[in-house]
Amino acid sequence: MIQFEKFTLSNGLKVIFHKDPTTPLAVINTLFDVGARDESPDKTGFAHLFEHLMFGGSINIEDFDAPLQNAGGESNAFTSNDITNYYNIIPAQNIETALWLESDRLLSLAFTEKSLETQRSVVIEEFKQRYLNQPYGDVWLELRPLAYTTHPYQWATIGKEIKHIEDASMEDVKSFFYKYYTPSNAIVCIAGNFELDYVKQIMEKWYGDIPSGIKPARILPLEPKQEIFREKTIESKVPSNAFYYAFKMAEKKSFEYYVTDLLSDALGRDKSSKLYISLQKELKLVTEIHCYITGSLDNGLLIIEGKIAPGETFEKIDSEIWKVLEELKNKLLSDSDLERIKNKISTSKEFQEQGLLNRAMNLCLYELLGDANGVNEEASLYESITAAHIHTIANEILITENCSLLKIKAIQE
Amino acid sequence: MINRTLAPTITSINEISFTAPKIIPLNQHVNLFWMSEIYDETTRIELHFDAGTIRSAEKVAGFVNSLLLSGTSTKTSTTINNELDSLGVFTDIEVGQEIAVVSIYCLRKNAEKAFSIILDAITNVNFDENEIEDIIREKKQNFLIGSEKVSILSRRKFQESIFDNSINYSRQLKLEDFDTITKESLIDFHKSHYLNGLVKLIIVSRLEEEKITLIAKTLTEFCVSTPVKFEDNFINKKGRIDIQKDGAMQTAIRIGMPLFNKKNSDFIDFQILQTILGDYFGSRLMSNIREDKGYTYGIGCGVSETFESGHFIIATEVGKEYVEATLNEIKFEIERLQQEEVDSDELTLVKNYLLGQLLKSADGPNAMTDLFIGAFNQGKDLTFYQDVINRINAISAEELKLTAIKYLNWENLTIVTAG
Repeated sequence: MIQFEKFTLSNGLKVIFHKDPTTPLAVINTLFDVGARDESPDKTGFAHLFEHLMFGGSINIEDFDAPLQNAGGESNAFTSNDITNYYNIIPAQNIETALWLESDRLLSLAFTEKSLETQRSVVIEEFKQRYLNQPYGDVWLELRPLAYTTHPYQWATIGKEIKHIEDASMEDVKSFFYKYYTPSNAIVCIAGNFELDYVKQIMEKWYGDIPSGIKPARILPLEPKQEIFREKTIESKVPSNAFYYAFKMAEKKSFEYYVTDLLSDALGRDKSSKLYISLQKELKLVTEIHCYITGSLDNGLLIIEGKIAPGETFEKIDSEIWKVLEELKNKLLSDSDLERIKNKISTSKEFQEQGLLNRAMNLCLYELLGDANGVNEEASLYESITAAHIHTIANEILITENCSLLKIKAIQE
Repeated sequence: MINRTLAPTITSINEISFTAPKIIPLNQHVNLFWMSEIYDETTRIELHFDAGTIRSAEKVAGFVNSLLLSGTSTKTSTTINNELDSLGVFTDIEVGQEIAVVSIYCLRKNAEKAFSIILDAITNVNFDENEIEDIIREKKQNFLIGSEKVSILSRRKFQESIFDNSINYSRQLKLEDFDTITKESLIDFHKSHYLNGLVKLIIVSRLEEEKITLIAKTLTEFCVSTPVKFEDNFINKKGRIDIQKDGAMQTAIRIGMPLFNKKNSDFIDFQILQTILGDYFGSRLMSNIREDKGYTYGIGCGVSETFESGHFIIATEVGKEYVEATLNEIKFEIERLQQEEVDSDELTLVKNYLLGQLLKSADGPNAMTDLFIGAFNQGKDLTFYQDVINRINAISAEELKLTAIKYLNWENLTIVTAG
């Protein structure tokens, strides 16, 4: 159980306070309700590029990181298709240094040409390092547009192509900032050994005078229901053939999301899972196989991915995967299978909640979904799932018409 | 209105509270480290074995490690995995250069059961032919995938070169090694390095004392019976080695030299120096090569410690057109540390940052245990970290310059590029 208090400043900034009396550190986590899904199709990679610019100095403070480090703190951020999340970890006595820096960059950035120019180049190197210069690194650049025809999940957070990043202008940067970086579009979590009154006072002090802004309305193109199986093969200089089956699934706010999460665990989380035992252990068709969900806030994907053992074929793999899926659709998961999956979830939750930062990030994410307390309801939600629920979802989503298949065919140069 | 151009006052860290785990000897050479001051239901159990890659001339250390849960005469691997997963247990089984570690993560209520399943599995491995074949096939695929990554290609060559004078420490797995593994060599290695190879046991859990004692007792028979020895005095192959990787868009760079570990009295000074150079986000290498030039997504350095020694390493991946420029800038930054004293603002910042990092390293029972073990491995106790605090506060810019002159010489470095 994660204890917390909530309050809202007059400018609309939502604040969550989580008291932890055992730590000498403080975490300041800021979630902005903007991600790659909010980009326009001809300017992708922007939310992420912008995240880099947030470290390039703000209106009153030349450099973000140096004063924070000088106070013994550190900072980082990540961008997903759904959100942009910034965090600071700092000795509790210096929390105001972090609030000074965070609130000033929410007030306004410095917008220097030098910062934009450098971060464009850094992000292009990141694009190469993580997506282009790794075996199988470009899979998500290919799989997203295959699985999504309409919804902006069709591009990765890094962007569709390097050119979009090269073309980003200062004008783009400014309008993005003014639209999305406002108190009304943010959630802040303060975690550490403080009292609520003190937290209210310092939040008011640093954030109270920042203009509210207007929370941007999100009207995203809806992904039409998939009605035919989609398949794409790309050739790549990689050591072995690989496959990625992507099935559409429910949005994070729904009960079905959690059911699908358990379904993916049953299929391929660990070495007791059905796909691992059948394809890897018994039939030896693959050298690895996994099933997981993308965790997206809008309708996401359940992915089955793996690498094919030398001498085996895509056709053979395909028929054996579908056998496993059909069996799961025809037969209820046993009680022991279900218990096993749930026990793994309980253990991982207990370990995840050890971290102060994890707790703060989760509180913000659940607040975005509607209520920070969702983080405390997750356990009983998983507990309430039955084999029948999983059976229903399996029959709904594990069908060819709902599937997009990407094959990576290994070629020798 | 507040004046936003004025930074809030900073309170520096003068004191950090360190907690040591209890130390319970299993025999003359092996200890249990038990951290019981934990307030949640998690349990972490780590078994450390004298089973690193340095111990196997036949290069089987990694294979034996991967086979630890592969089945016994009464259980298949699937049975073992299913039993553990049913208890919600996570395992992390890894082999390093010097030791191999079996980590168990579970809830306290399942800890004893999880431990006994794992102990039975790892001490009674029956090295089934099918399981051996599976592991070799899977590891070979992973090796081939790794061989497509410039970061891994450069790392392999760097390790080889930094430990150039040591057969055991420079040993790297090659593709042809996957075809020469024999069952006998696996069994032999398992017997000498696991069945008689336990060197350390770590438990972070509020399990009852009698349960802890029982776990410790069960493990006594697997402990090493003589002190474990590790090498030092490494000599590197100096100069530059370029590995060609066709089609690569980036080049991985690894630069470094043999150094020392906490046992050396210059260790803390060097740590502070290398932090300024490249071990935090605002470091000189990051500021120059990423934030000013945009050659890379990231560049960093660190000291990698072994039981008796250590080495310094700078690592980055840069656009292939920026390799020479990056090497020039790294050389420039090293020479700048030797020629100019760090100014007082930068020095204060790094001091405060390092104290903040140390506070973070001591936060929570798991972090605190790792911090303690880090010192204990090299014959130190928690007073070492008080020394660190004192030294961070006391060190001068002049002393840092002298440290740079003493240890950072471009001519002595191993430079590996892959791309």
